[in-house]
Amino acid sequence: MNALAILLARVYEWRWVVLPPVAGVAMMAMIVGALVAAPREIIEGEVQRLMYLHVPSAVTMYAAFGFTAFASVMFLWKRDMRWDAAARGSAVVGVFLCGMVLATGAIWGKPIWGVYWSWDARLTTTLILFLIYSAYLLARSVAGPLDEQAARFAAIFAIIGVADIPIIQMSVRWWRTLHPQPIVFQTNPALPGEMLIVLLIGFIAIFALATWLISLQTDTERAAQRVSALRAEVDHREIA
Amino acid sequence: MENIEYLFAGFAVFWAALFIYLLTLQARLRSLHREIERLEERLAESEGKPAPRSRTVGNASSAASGSAEPSAPPANS
Repeated sequence: MNALAILLARVYEWRWVVLPPVAGVAMMAMIVGALVAAPREIIEGEVQRLMYLHVPSAVTMYAAFGFTAFASVMFLWKRDMRWDAAARGSAVVGVFLCGMVLATGAIWGKPIWGVYWSWDARLTTTLILFLIYSAYLLARSVAGPLDEQAARFAAIFAIIGVADIPIIQMSVRWWRTLHPQPIVFQTNPALPGEMLIVLLIGFIAIFALATWLISLQTDTERAAQRVSALRAEVDHREIA
Repeated sequence: MENIEYLFAGFAVFWAALFIYLLTLQARLRSLHREIERLEERLAESEGKPAPRSRTVGNASSAASGSAEPSAPPANS
């Protein structure tokens, strides 16, 4: 277990060398693939190319919020504020991606559905997820970075909030919605091979970008914790 | 080339938001590191006095004793 922790720490130290170039190259490959290499969809036209941004962002958003819940469980178990920083870091990136999913979805929806927004089951449950984690971040930012009680309540909130993800995923099966039934995540994906390859590049690009952003945001949260601890130390010494 | 303006708008929104987010994050990280340096200098100045126990909770004391660069979190996605 100790060796695993050392290995993880060693891998984490390499994040600045590996993640930015991987994310940059993969993002460029995704853009070229989406705009040039992928075939044009006959019914929806050019706007369908937003799929290569929209779908990977949605799946990576699930992963980011899933990691927030995992880090929150670890925080409640270990009571280590580093897990709280990791939970906050991934929640910020999850909210960013959720905003991008809602924005690109609205832009994609306008020419296809005729409206930017509809109170469709998947859109509504995704908006609820956005609001849940925005509330989590707001509550966490009101309290200090080292407020352990606030971190505990926020962790419980984050763990409960992640239950919305399976509801979003199943919404197209449970209710009649504007979104299509799953066409990618099934045994025989209903997409041509060229589209699937570009979509796979999109997944790699957005996942690498999100991993880099989470590590950057977690470092920022750790720095905020350190500032708070140092301020308390300075105040205490100056009073003493 | 139908609907191409929506395709352009979708990509533009994503890149603009990412750019603004990265700029904001970089500015916050830079200001936090400046603040850490300033507080460490103040702590170093008051070093002659007896060091009291930290009033912070959880692992705050370990956070206060580390380096200016925040240490790595336990794991990442």
